[in-house]
Amino acid sequence: MGIAHSIQSIGFLTDFSESVLAYPIVLSTHLACIGLFGGMILATDLRLLGLTFNSLTITEVVTSLRPWKRVGGTIMIAMGLLLATSEAEKYAPNPFFWTKMVILGLIGVHALVFRPIVYNKTEELDRSPAIPTRAKVAAILSLVLWTSMFVMGRLIAYWD
Amino acid sequence: MLVQNAIADTLNNAEWTFALAECVHIGGFAVSIGSIALVDFRMLNLGLRKETAARILRYTEPWTLIALVFVVFSGLMLFLSQADIYLVNQIFPLKMYILIAALIYNFTVHRKVAKMENPPPVLNKLVAVISLLLWVSVVFGGIFTGFLV
Repeated sequence: MGIAHSIQSIGFLTDFSESVLAYPIVLSTHLACIGLFGGMILATDLRLLGLTFNSLTITEVVTSLRPWKRVGGTIMIAMGLLLATSEAEKYAPNPFFWTKMVILGLIGVHALVFRPIVYNKTEELDRSPAIPTRAKVAAILSLVLWTSMFVMGRLIAYWD
Repeated sequence: MLVQNAIADTLNNAEWTFALAECVHIGGFAVSIGSIALVDFRMLNLGLRKETAARILRYTEPWTLIALVFVVFSGLMLFLSQADIYLVNQIFPLKMYILIAALIYNFTVHRKVAKMENPPPVLNKLVAVISLLLWVSVVFGGIFTGFLV
């Protein structure tokens, strides 16, 4: 508890969580990013599954959305970090929060595993007559991970 | 009748159904706004450039529509669970006006320009920016409804 208390006592974090406007603005930004950039993750996964955007190559979908997903992810994590650290004492004992952090870690593992064989090999995937299984596995796992991530985010509010 | 109804009873008595409705609401808006944003990003020349905006719209429109049904339905459930609170909320009516404007805009101006074969670039970009602003405002309206009573 000591660490959590020290974190949320950092001057600007205290100001932030006590501000009437800043907190909801940051939360809204966090959520708007889920919409704007979550849609891009969904589009990429559905393209890898061959379910949509079939007139575009996998390469085009993955590479043209990649920079925006990075921008979105950075904003989302920065906003999330502000939300969690400013109320560190409330988040520290919350099992949904820690489950969410574990899922975030798993999303990192997913990137490490599938980037070299799927996301950085899109031209190979495009040349293949059928979408290879490894690409579909990557897409399904990504959908499962991001959906659980978002459900855990919502459930954080329900633990007391 | 708006305050005491079967939906309110169910949602208030079983906290998880409220959580579920919220998850469907947020997941639904993420998919609907996300799918609209893909068209907007194309219109702004920021992504998926090897296909026309009209074609992107054809791909995304079913997702947008299905997700919107889920958002509106779950939103109605959330509203009915605490109608008395929402009806006196200062922000909630504003959110509804922006939502109605965004919906009308999306299925008229936005749709029409996205389907144009050679729209003037300025018009294309303006229409996309207005679309993004409207939908992001709806999200802000939703959060502010919960924070500023």
